[in-house]
This record gives sequence, structure tokens and C-alpha cells, in this order.
Amino acid sequence: MTVPLAIPALLADLPTVKEICSCNSFWAILVGSLAVWVLLPNRIPYGKTIGGVLAIVASGLFASDWPLLGNWTDQAVFWLLAGITLGAAVGTICSRSPVYSAIWFALSLLGTAGLFFFNGAQFLGVATIVVYAGAIVVTFLFVIMLSQPEGHSAYDRITWGWFPKTFSVLAAATMVAVLTFLLGNLRTEAAGSFSSESAAEYQARLTAQGAVLDQDHMANLGRHLFAEHLISVEVAGTLLLVALVGAVAIAIQGRPRLARRIEEALR
Amino acid sequence: MNEVSLLYNFLLVGGLLFVLGMIGFLVRRNMIVMFLCAEMMLQGVSVTLIGFGRHHGGLVESATSTAASTAAASAGPWGGQMLVIFIIAVAACEAGIAMALVLMLYRQSGTLDAAYWQDLREETLPPFVDREVPEERQEDRVWPRLTPSGVEPPIDPDELLHRPRV
Repeated sequence: MTVPLAIPALLADLPTVKEICSCNSFWAILVGSLAVWVLLPNRIPYGKTIGGVLAIVASGLFASDWPLLGNWTDQAVFWLLAGITLGAAVGTICSRSPVYSAIWFALSLLGTAGLFFFNGAQFLGVATIVVYAGAIVVTFLFVIMLSQPEGHSAYDRITWGWFPKTFSVLAAATMVAVLTFLLGNLRTEAAGSFSSESAAEYQARLTAQGAVLDQDHMANLGRHLFAEHLISVEVAGTLLLVALVGAVAIAIQGRPRLARRIEEALR
Repeated sequence: MNEVSLLYNFLLVGGLLFVLGMIGFLVRRNMIVMFLCAEMMLQGVSVTLIGFGRHHGGLVESATSTAASTAAASAGPWGGQMLVIFIIAVAACEAGIAMALVLMLYRQSGTLDAAYWQDLREETLPPFVDREVPEERQEDRVWPRLTPSGVEPPIDPDELLHRPRV
């Protein structure tokens, strides 16, 4: 069995300019990257308002181009969860204060956990909340301990300059555009005929004995984890132990140098 | 529900989450925010894997399936969720090490700014200098206040010397 090279096949069906311009996802990526560019810390007056409006426009354009789930309740729940996740993600990277970044990140995690529930991964939804709740609390402690209590630090109000900012946003937009392009076949398949008959068949397979949406979700997950991935579980446990030892070793070594402290006290 | 469009939507949401984390990691200079952005990239990958896990969630081995399809199905219904479990474990390790590193760097420099460590750059590169740090806006400077009550305690002048912000 030979695997065909991907690149010639991709070059063969490159979209034309007209197809690109009539694609809502292209405009959504354009407007969305502009919104993120404006929202990132900078000196633009009314940056938050302009960026917020652009972000709303971009999400509307994305929503108009993504294939529908076919069921209005599912669709509304998905849009709500995806909107919370992505909006809070934008808030995380654009907040000037690290405390707000941590809060936005917690909200984004809640959205992600909701998406896991939506997709039938109940255990992982709960595990995400439990694990990351601890992580967020620790991050809060660090922020309160380390950041400047009297206001926003200068390095939170600026970035590395316009060049890295522009080009990282451009790289991100290119990645999303390539992803959208590569998933084009999937999209036509989704928009095509997905009759209620085959949907019911699919649903029956998903809820069959031992499948993901089976009622005994946790039993199946645990059986699979400890039967087929037992060595991986052991390795993950060892990794956690090594990380713990490494963290302690790093924290002990990091005492402030005495000479530097004396020098700063004399300054 | 249309399962194919569900997969498509989840792949794009995961991709967008990853890409937003990447922008934040490249652009922000606060080390704690950079750490949060790295976690966000892992979340994006997890969303993608959960989407695939649902899509292949019906590949249960049945008695009638052939040997080849059994081999393909053995990773089928639960593979995505297994990977996400291990992603969470590795993310926990990463969080521990990253926080220890941030703490050590803060102790040595007294700032969370990643630009403080720019003397690690290549010799041929020019130094990075901040130009035009924007003034903090007035509306960002509002902090919550408590109603004063009780008697003001005498302040030790030595305290002010090494804890000037208190």
C-alpha cells in the first residue's frame, strides 16, 4: 500500500481568488486576527472597544461558515460553549493584569470542560475542572506573591514591539487558514447528505456496549486505561515523581545571590 | 446530530484555542501569563483529541469483525480520551516545573519580565530596548478600598525601609 504524497494533491486543488473571497472563513480569520492584534497590549486609543467589535464580527462570520449540527438545542449549546472558550482565551492573552489573565483562563477551562461534556467525555470534563482548579489557585498565589501590587507593571502594558506581534498574529492566521483549507473535504461531507437514518445508525453505534456514549462510561474508561495502557500509567506516575523532585531541586537552588542583594541594598 | 460537522467544529475550536495560546506565548512578556498560554495550547490539543475520540467512538470490536479491523479498532473508541488523560498528567508536571522556574527567576531578578533575561541572546543580535512605554490609564488605576476603622497602629520605621509598599 503506497501513501500518495500530499503536496501535489494539495497544489492540484488550490482555491482560486474568487473562491477565497467568497469564503466567510477567510474574512473571519482576517477580521479575527485584526481583532487580536488590536486587543493585545498597545497604545491604540479605544483599542478594547474596536477589538471587541471586531472579535464579535469575526465570531459571527465563523458561525455562519461552520456546518450546522442539525439540532437547534445542540447547536445553541455548542455555540455558547465555544464562544465562552474562545472569548475567554482572547481575554487571557489580552488582559493587562495577570490576575485578570488567570480569571479569564479559568473561565476558558470551564468552557473546555463543557465541550468535553458535550462530546460525551464525562470523566475528562470533571478531571479538567479538578486538576486545573488547583493549578489556577496556585497561579493566583504566585501572581499575588510576585507581581507588582501597586498597579500594572510596564512589561504588562507593552509587548516585544510591533514586529513580533504582527508576525505572530500572521503566523497564527496562516495556521488556522491552512487548517480550514485542509478540512475542506470534511466540510463538504458534513454539509452533504447526512440523512436521519444514517444519523440514527451512528448514534446506535456510539451508544453500543463498550462505545464512548455507553451508559457505563467510567467502567469502560477504567477498564481500557488499566488493561491496555497499564505501562503508560506507570510511566506517567514516574514522570510526576521526577517532576516533583526536579521542582524541589530547582526551588532550593534558586536562593538569591548574597552579593547581588548587598549590591542592591547599597545602591 | 450530524457527527461529521461536530468533528469539523471541534477541530476548528481546538485549532483556534491552540493558535490563541501560541500568540499569547509569543507576544506577552509576563512569565506567568506565558505559562498560562502554554497550558492553553495543551487545552486546544485536548479539544481536538476529544473530538476525534467521539468521532471514532463507535469502533467497538464485534465478534464478526476480521482480524485487521479488530487491530484498528483496539485503539478506536477510547484512544483519544486516553491521550487526553496523559496530556493532563504531563501538564501537571509542566506546571510544577514551570512554577519552580518562575520562582527562581523572580528571586534572581525581582521581576516577571522575560526581557530581563535577554542577555541570553545571540552575540550578533542587537539588544531589545523598550521604547515609548504607554502611560497607565486612569481607569486602570482604581483599586478597591476598605472603610478605615479602629486606631492606626504605630508604624515601625524599619518596616518602611525594607517593605516600602506596606
